[in-house]
Amino acid sequence: MGRLIVVACGAGINTSTIAEDSIRERMAKEGFADVEVKRILMADIEGYLTRDDLVMIVSMMKIFRTFDVPVFQGMPFLIGSQDEKNVLLDKIVEAIKKV
Amino acid sequence: MLEFNESLVAFDLEAQDAREVIEILAGKMHAQELVSVEYGAQTWERETIHPTGLPTKPFCIAFPHADADGVSCSALGVAVLRKPVIFQNMADPDEGLDVVLVFMLANRDPEEQIHTLRNLAVLFGQPEKLVELRDQTTLQGVVSWLRRELRLS
Repeated sequence: MGRLIVVACGAGINTSTIAEDSIRERMAKEGFADVEVKRILMADIEGYLTRDDLVMIVSMMKIFRTFDVPVFQGMPFLIGSQDEKNVLLDKIVEAIKKV
Repeated sequence: MLEFNESLVAFDLEAQDAREVIEILAGKMHAQELVSVEYGAQTWERETIHPTGLPTKPFCIAFPHADADGVSCSALGVAVLRKPVIFQNMADPDEGLDVVLVFMLANRDPEEQIHTLRNLAVLFGQPEKLVELRDQTTLQGVVSWLRRELRLS
């Protein structure tokens, strides 16, 4: 079974595309061929929570609830310095290695 | 294909509020038949539900957009504001941000614009670059600066 990371934002357009692209590129570099990165609308998240392959949520918005999988705030992908973007990607890689 | 030209830039713009900035940029796009006449209203409506203010440093920016309905050709509109207007924070809609630069990316398909999106994210993360853009003294300066930094043709 593959591993699914969902990238959620309010509108599911430009913002989540930027985060999705950054994470996909790093997953390819790490050789994680089974990791799928998919951008979604935050409003649609319920449908993904029951999926067995869901391993991580990256949200461009503030999160007001808890989930059973690790959650990362993705705003640095949009407005962080290159260092901040890399630090976040390192954290995501570490978390992915554990699942 | 991404349309960008000096008629899509509002330089030294004095606007009352976020809605006016969005309407002005959408109006410029509509004047070139890049988006439908409703695009400004659609974008404002989306902004009220999913705000796009971003807490960049040393001042805030906004990144308004609506979905592909009504976009006939992808386009970038930019406003450099004389005085800040308030946009709500994308990450925390309860927080208002004083926004100085507005980047409106009307998209047919975000993946088609991935290079521009990447270059925008690099720009948004560099305070000294945002200051350079804000401090341009002419419309032509803004246009050529953006073409260079975002690698627009």
